[in-house]
Order: sequence, then structure tokens, then C-alpha cells
Amino acid sequence: MTATTVNYKSVFDIIGPIMIGPSSSHTAGAVAIGKAAREVYRDDPTKIVIHYYESFAETHKGHGTDYAIISGILGFAPDDARVPDAVNIAEERGISVSFIEEQTDSPIHHPNTAVVELSNDKHAIELSGCSIGGGTIEVRNIKMEGYDISPTGTLPVILAIFKTPEDQDKFNKDLAEMSIINKTQKYLGSQRKDMLLEYELDTRLKADQIKALSALTDEMIYM
Amino acid sequence: MYMSIEELVADSVSKKQPISELIINQECEKSHSSREEVWHEMEKNLEVMRAAVEKGAHGKGVFSKTGLTGGEAAMLRKYRKNHVTLSGDSMVEAVQNAIATNEVNASMGVICATPTAGSTGTLPGVLFILEKRLGLSDEDMVRFLFTASAFGMIVANKAMIAGATGGCQAEVGSASAMGAAAAVEAAGGSAQQSAEAFAMAMSNLLGLVCDPVAGLVELPCVKRNAVGAGNALIAADMALAGCTNKIPADEVIQAMKTVGEGLPKALRETGLGGLAGTPTGKAMKERIFGKNEHVAS
Repeated sequence: MTATTVNYKSVFDIIGPIMIGPSSSHTAGAVAIGKAAREVYRDDPTKIVIHYYESFAETHKGHGTDYAIISGILGFAPDDARVPDAVNIAEERGISVSFIEEQTDSPIHHPNTAVVELSNDKHAIELSGCSIGGGTIEVRNIKMEGYDISPTGTLPVILAIFKTPEDQDKFNKDLAEMSIINKTQKYLGSQRKDMLLEYELDTRLKADQIKALSALTDEMIYM
Repeated sequence: MYMSIEELVADSVSKKQPISELIINQECEKSHSSREEVWHEMEKNLEVMRAAVEKGAHGKGVFSKTGLTGGEAAMLRKYRKNHVTLSGDSMVEAVQNAIATNEVNASMGVICATPTAGSTGTLPGVLFILEKRLGLSDEDMVRFLFTASAFGMIVANKAMIAGATGGCQAEVGSASAMGAAAAVEAAGGSAQQSAEAFAMAMSNLLGLVCDPVAGLVELPCVKRNAVGAGNALIAADMALAGCTNKIPADEVIQAMKTVGEGLPKALRETGLGGLAGTPTGKAMKERIFGKNEHVAS
């Protein structure tokens, strides 16, 4: 067996997910893109704007992509019975929701692309995701707090800011024991001085592992 | 991690283990999970599949919101009771199971995507008829899913499994090939025979386009899963009889990728070409969504 960076890392990416129909790429994958945006935002948005490109722009209505992506943003699982009603649920909560069918090619070069903007009166983020099939997604760009982050593969991805170099060393060591680290990238933001580290992992982490890693950081996002 | 079918077959031979066992071990190692955890996770998928097969054919069946699909698994169940079927009761039951699952999917019911939701009926179509034909236990059925996933992971990582990138050959084609390979193992065939079944099943569906009417996972998706299941059983039988594909499985995957990349955008899940582009297909789209589909809402 050889160690290779691959998009589909688990048998359950192929047999699964258990989900509400009708489409794994346009429904379950869209839930996953929404969920990633929720993880990055870590707050309740008052405004959601979704830009669709290519296949997503042509077929989002038929595939239930709208309610799926909003479900992810609200934190519903792909098999939650509330999934088909998510847009109404968001609007009842006073969130402004809009969907825009873009006519241009995807800015992140994939036919199943959604760009998610979340905002409230305090802050805003933008996340560009694509659904590559079977419910698996890639997050190819994140704009948050002045950082412009470009991951290069499928999830899981960790974004972390550290207080001290010692914490960072310990984090790197602990993380390497939990998963193969496929790639690490560093980012400097335009708003804050701290360096942001982005880690692309080979294996999903368990809740206790995420908690232990998080304790070593100033801020951490796990997608 | 296994990145070719050749590697998978070679390891099965040298370790004297079925492919299902190799992939269970790979999963445990990669996810740092116990065998019990991984097994249980796959059992849950099997339960969801069984529930969908039953729900879709029960009573009058299930129907999608648009009315484009539904109720046909139930029709097949009734037909089997009252008629001498042309292709044999097992084949028609496999078709019924495949259609039932995709009708549940189209009606926004709960399904297990294998490998995708659009191709969700193909594997259950094969699996639940083998349960009867071969007297498979629940354990055998969970194993079937692991074997299928071993082949599916290689396709997904080496080529594609999304209609938007590779057409329906990447979805139902992949599901059918996975089902054929797993059926061979369930029937006691060798790893090489699984690879041959896989190669034949995928070769038979090369070039299949993704052309959903109105962009919905209904027409022709539901019935393509019937063909996927039938094709898998045919390919598995041929492999068990000793027939070979001549073109190796890994090269068939590469061919599928090349064909997929060559498909025009209209035939890759945009709901524009193929059946979606017929006068009736377009009229259905207009009835469901109105004329101004392209205008931002």
C-alpha cells in the first residue's frame, strides 16, 4: 500500500452518506458546503447570500440545493427531517436569504460550485466550495478576518492561530500522531498580525481529539 | 491505500483474504477505529437500504413532489405476482428494488448514497436479490458493501463519480461495476473474477450521459438504476462462468475518465441536453419551474 493524497479517504465516502434525497452532490454535498461555512463563521448570520455557478446554477431548484445549503448553515445533518424546510426555518428566524444564479464559469473551476457569504452587523465571511460527487466536497477559498485562504483538497481542514511557537510545535506533533498531514500552508492577514496556519488532513478527527488540539490554539476551526 | 484494482487483486491472492477483508483493515487503520466501529457503521447503511427498498414498493409506492416519478416499484411488485415475467422473477425483483430505492430518493426520503444519490438504487437492486438467491446472512451483506466500496474508492479517486464531471457512466456505471464485483465475491468467486465482472459492467455502460429532465434526479435516473442492477448481475454471471473483459479493469476506469472529460457540458448534469433537451423534457421543466429559470431569484 502506498500513501497518496486522495479525495475519497474512507469507505463511507462511497457507501454513504445516509441522507435525504435527491442528489448526493447537489443536496448532501450542498449541506456539507453550508456546514463548512457555519464552522468558519462561528456565529449566527443575519444575512445569507449564495452564488451558484454552472451545474449548480442550472439545477439548484430541482436538486433541493437551496434548502440543503441552508440546512448546513443552520447546522442540520444531511438526514435531518427538517432539511427540506430549511429555507423557511431560516426566514422565520429573521435571516435574509438570497440565491444568485451566476452566468459565468466557476471562479474555483468546478461545475458544482457555490460561494457562500455570511454576515451580520459584526463581521462577514465568504467561502467557496465545490461538490465533487457522492457528498464529498472541497473548500477551495475562504475569506475571513482579512485572510485569503486557499485549501487544495477535500476536508478535513484545520485553520489555527497560535499564541506561542511552543504551542504550535506541540500542536504539530500531536496532530501528526492523529493523522497524516497532507499539506500545511501559512497565511498573513490584512487585518490582524497573527499568522494563520492551514492544515489539510488525511483522516477525520474525533471530538476529543479536536478538543485537545483546540486547547493549544488561540483560535481554531475544524472543517 | 489501494489505488488500483490490480493491487487489490494481487493482495487478495498473496494474503489469501477476500477483498472485503482487505478494505475493512484499510479502513480501521486509516480512521484509527476498531473493527466493531467500522462494521457497525456499515450495518447502519445496510439498514437504511433495506428500509428504502421496502418503503418504495409498499402499497402504491412513493411519489415525488413533481409527479414525474413514483409508484412504479409497486407496479413491478404487482406485475411479478400476476404474470410470467420475461427476464425471470429474480431479475424483475432486482429491478423493483433498484427503482424503489430511487423513488424514495426522488420523493426526498432517506437513502444511503452508493456511491451517489442518483445511483442509489443500483447496489440495493443487486444486494437484496442476492440475499434471496444465495441465502446471504446480514454479515455477508455487510461484507458485500465493503467489497463494493473497495472498487468504488478506486474509481472515485482515479476517475470520478459525479454526473456533473463524468456523466451517468460515472454514477450508475460505477455503481453497477461495484455491484458486479461485490456480487462475485458474495457468490464465492475469486478476486480476479470480481475484477473481470467490474470491468465488464463498466465497459457496458461507457459513454452513458447525465441528462436529467428539469435538472431533477428523476427522469431518466430512476430507471437507469434498473439497468445498472441488471447489468451488474449479468456481468457477475459472465465472470463467474469464466468470461473475461480482455481490457483490464484499471484501464477501463481510465477510459471512463477520458470519456467523461470529453462529454459536452450539456450532457453533464446541467439538465440541458439528451432527454432533458427533448420537447417533452423542456415542457416538463417549464411546467415545474416556469419560463424564467435563468433569472436570478
